[in-house]
Amino acid sequence: MSKGTIIALVVAAVLVFWGIGVRNGMATSEQDVEASWAKVQTAYQRRADLIPNLVKTVQGVANFEKSTLTDVISARASATQIKLDASDLSPENMKKFQDAQSQLSGALSRLMAVAENYPTLKATENFSELQAQLEGTENRIKEERDRFNDTVKEFNNKVVTFPNSLIAGFSGFSKKGYFEADASAQKAPSVDFSK
Amino acid sequence: MSRKIQQYLAVLILSLSFLVKAIGQDIPAQPNPPLMVSDFVMKLKPEERNALEQKLRGYRDSTSTEISIVIVKNTGESDPYDYAMKIAKTWGIGAKNKNNGVLLLWATETRKIRIVTGRGIEDVLPDAICKRIINTIIVPNFKQQQWYQGLNEATDEMIQRASGEFKSDATSDDDSPLGFFIIVILVIVFIVISIIISKRGGGGGRGGYRGGGWTPPIIITGGSSWGNRSGGGGGDSGFDFGGFGGGDFGGGGAGGDY
Repeated sequence: MSKGTIIALVVAAVLVFWGIGVRNGMATSEQDVEASWAKVQTAYQRRADLIPNLVKTVQGVANFEKSTLTDVISARASATQIKLDASDLSPENMKKFQDAQSQLSGALSRLMAVAENYPTLKATENFSELQAQLEGTENRIKEERDRFNDTVKEFNNKVVTFPNSLIAGFSGFSKKGYFEADASAQKAPSVDFSK
Repeated sequence: MSRKIQQYLAVLILSLSFLVKAIGQDIPAQPNPPLMVSDFVMKLKPEERNALEQKLRGYRDSTSTEISIVIVKNTGESDPYDYAMKIAKTWGIGAKNKNNGVLLLWATETRKIRIVTGRGIEDVLPDAICKRIINTIIVPNFKQQQWYQGLNEATDEMIQRASGEFKSDATSDDDSPLGFFIIVILVIVFIVISIIISKRGGGGGRGGYRGGGWTPPIIITGGSSWGNRSGGGGGDSGFDFGGFGGGDFGGGGAGGDY
């Protein structure tokens, strides 16, 4: 074997080992993303599970505004329909998921705002506790979303930066989507008092 | 002379800048040594604070569950939830792998109460229960300015609900019989050796050595903020309990006002 081929072989071996290392790093990072995605889903599921109870409580109140209730029920239905598997968290899919969920957030905050107008409802212990639970689930969602974004950021950094991006291309890793700040969560819920 | 004044000024400016930095920080720095009850407003009487501290420390020692009370004037710009979460996470209330910390935050000026629960304790203290504790225990007491009663009964309720859920590491780690045997053997060896020594020494000879005694290390805490606390560490609360465990929080809890 000539000197040249030996050098070429050594270089190739180093490159292969480097590539394996990078690939493994991405795989570990992807698992972190998937784990935190599972937690995000649990947090959203928790909210969805709370809604039937909330609807039941609010329905019991005499002449409660029906439209806000039906909004919540239909938003819940469409939000729970969108199931996003951890393996295809592409930016587009994330946006779809997030849109459906923020629709529900909006409907819920309108419902809670309307409920403020029913003092008898507000005074009940049951409603007060439900309100606390809902607040708690929203906080959990926020917490898990932040964590998810952190893990995605780490993953994307590994996948997108230059020499790594070659390996990512070979092994089928692609950029994942983030949770964007919610447009509907930022603006105050609009309540129409004319109805 | 003027040089001295300059020096004084420099020191003054330096200390002022530290003060500004301290104010600029969102949440209060953790007292040193750490406390289960951090009353930054001195809203509780020293003996009340001490009683709560003792109770919560005792509970922590036996179960590893850390229930901490923090009393501040207000939560500044931030929402009570964000403020409480920041304290809870930064201070790391709760054991690290159990995440069984609870923070009861009370902002006296804005009359807000906020409970945040660690990830591991959410099951025994769900949000609805936290809300119930606030509504039915804290608020009625606080409305009558029964600050201590409110906090005491609220923490009693939490303790009762969390009882049996967690064990302190000290008890769970002692399960291995080997460790127990080693201790027994060590004790026997120690007794035998001390008997031999006392027989040989004939009492008087060694007495001088023993009389010298072991002087406990004296720890001087120069903080002026400790002046209010029961004569600078009278009672157990002056001692360091070892700090919080580094528990994590996931957004559980409830808030209210009175």
